[in-house]
Amino acid sequence: MNKIYIYNGDFVSLLSLIHYLISNNIRPYNIQNNEYFPNLLEEIILVNLDNNEEVIKKIISIIGREIFKTLYYVFLSADEKKEIIIFYFILNGFKYRKSVIYRRDLKCVCETLKISEYVKHEIHKFKGFLRFKELENKVLYAEIEPINDVLFFLSSHFSKRLKNEYWIIKDVKRGILSIYNKKKFIIINEDDFLISTDKLSNEEEQIQELWKLFYKIIGISARKNDRCRINFMPKRYWKYILEVSDER
Amino acid sequence: MNVKEKLSILADAAKYDASCSSSGSNRNSNSYGIGNACSFGICHSFSSDGRCISLLKILMTNSCIYDCKYCLNRKSNNIKRAIFTPEEICEVTINFYRRNYIEGLFLSSGIVRSPDYTMELMIRTISMLRNKYHFGGYIHAKAIPGASKKLLKDLGNLVDRLSANIELPTENSLKLLAPNKNQSEVSEIMHYVKDNQSRKYVPAGQSTQMIIGASKESDLDIMQKSENMYSNYKLKRVFYSAYIPVNKDSLLPSLEKPPLVRENRLYQADWLIRYYNFKVNDLLSEDNPFFNILIDPKADYALRHLDEFPKEINKCSYYDLLKVPGIGVVTAKRIISSRRNFNIKFDDLKRMGVVIKRAKYFITCDGKYFIGNEFFKKDFIVSNLVLEDKLYETKNVEQLSLFSE
Ligand code: SF4
Repeated sequence: MNKIYIYNGDFVSLLSLIHYLISNNIRPYNIQNNEYFPNLLEEIILVNLDNNEEVIKKIISIIGREIFKTLYYVFLSADEKKEIIIFYFILNGFKYRKSVIYRRDLKCVCETLKISEYVKHEIHKFKGFLRFKELENKVLYAEIEPINDVLFFLSSHFSKRLKNEYWIIKDVKRGILSIYNKKKFIIINEDDFLISTDKLSNEEEQIQELWKLFYKIIGISARKNDRCRINFMPKRYWKYILEVSDER
Repeated sequence: MNVKEKLSILADAAKYDASCSSSGSNRNSNSYGIGNACSFGICHSFSSDGRCISLLKILMTNSCIYDCKYCLNRKSNNIKRAIFTPEEICEVTINFYRRNYIEGLFLSSGIVRSPDYTMELMIRTISMLRNKYHFGGYIHAKAIPGASKKLLKDLGNLVDRLSANIELPTENSLKLLAPNKNQSEVSEIMHYVKDNQSRKYVPAGQSTQMIIGASKESDLDIMQKSENMYSNYKLKRVFYSAYIPVNKDSLLPSLEKPPLVRENRLYQADWLIRYYNFKVNDLLSEDNPFFNILIDPKADYALRHLDEFPKEINKCSYYDLLKVPGIGVVTAKRIISSRRNFNIKFDDLKRMGVVIKRAKYFITCDGKYFIGNEFFKKDFIVSNLVLEDKLYETKNVEQLSLFSE
């Protein structure tokens, strides 16, 4: 039977499990979170572990803070193999220490770098493509549907940029909200916080019109280039981008 | 006139300026303010022409006392004129910014009454935005040639980036097409900004723009002008803007389409000069003053210098790696850091980001050719590269990104 090791779904418990596996010289067939349904050839294994901070400190001291952050980006990705990639990365990290990041001859290193770049790239795109609208009570509200779990990093970006506003960002796909109260943001389940988002502020419509007008005018017709536009701004983002949402 | 009408006139009049990047500055607002600037530029949208939109790009006014032949706003054109009040500009900027439509403001202007008077109006607007609205986002302003040093100083203290457009590569063309302007007024601005630039004064540095194809200069003339400006004034960017005929004038060329491929070649070459250690003389010469329209400047260089190739991936220097078509700055750095740790094989290259179908003609790994030795011939490579570029175009892959710095 193929052994599947199960962790809680959060980063710390994944790292604790990986640390346990490495210390006991176990090579798992796969690692999955606790929502995983095994197939007939797979055996689920639950290990009871305390999530302890020492494990994290130890990993950071070996691979360094930068690379640790890279692993966190991988953890936020929607990639199905991310856990086992992180496992092999840390395994090699214990061997090569900080220089593991240069070992592009190892598959797990290439994958780690590729996936983390992809997640960072998506975060960067959303810093630009996210659109707030102003609700009746002056709260700014935005919806996103990202592939990866970018809400935390996006929120930390907007908590600096719009620090004196109340805002809410909803990840429609994952059903989670980030709520900011001019001091800090928290990320919660959408069921835990009810908001009505259909009543807009008085000015909202007028400002949206102004922006759409600007968008239309700023394109130079003699240079029209739709291919290029779609390359940089793929259609899957358009639903939530005000100025192109009705062009879809 | 309401704000909507003004915006439609004054955004339309501003759109031909190519500079739109918002990078290079780290700024924060005060505790009750709004906004910050990221050193990595953020694109908020892409217009129908495929260009990045990151700033609210508008003119303060499209009235102008000058009569530049190529410009829509020239005095002799009979068009509708408008002027924004400082409050209107501030309100629109803040409202757009709060909704995350934009990274900030790009303010330019036609010249009303005098250069000084125009700059004063711009300063009043931007200072209102910074001090009354506490805006900490990105601001790019055009400096008006001929305005006083004092005003240049005040404006530079408020903005992230300043630019003065050189417009045309030579004084002669400028005299012909923009009779009210002269290069020395523009260079004076550039000099002043260079001498005073700091974390407080124009922190994101200065840029300029040249119009391509409205006058007779060759690519060599244009690139030499750029190279000079980069070294003399520490410019962050030179923008190249394919000339778009908006006016009829006997002094202007009549073009069917703006010279977009030429513009793209200039950007590619500019990139090579800023990041790849190329010199203009490597790319162009008196005998060869125009870029090859079929092949990008780097591949063109490689093909004219085949004797310098192939480069050995596991041994050659960083700058040699940069000369290989299909290897960019990031990839070259990866190769260097990797090969300190292990011996690179062909299979590793693709995962490192090397564009194999371009690079394969120009490299060896441990002395081995990627392609058969007998194919290391100019004609063979040229026809393959051109063919691949054609496929590349039709297959719709990202073109050189002009906004990422
Ligand atoms: S100075 Fe020349 S380019 Fe500028 S707005 Fe006036 S006419 Fe146009």
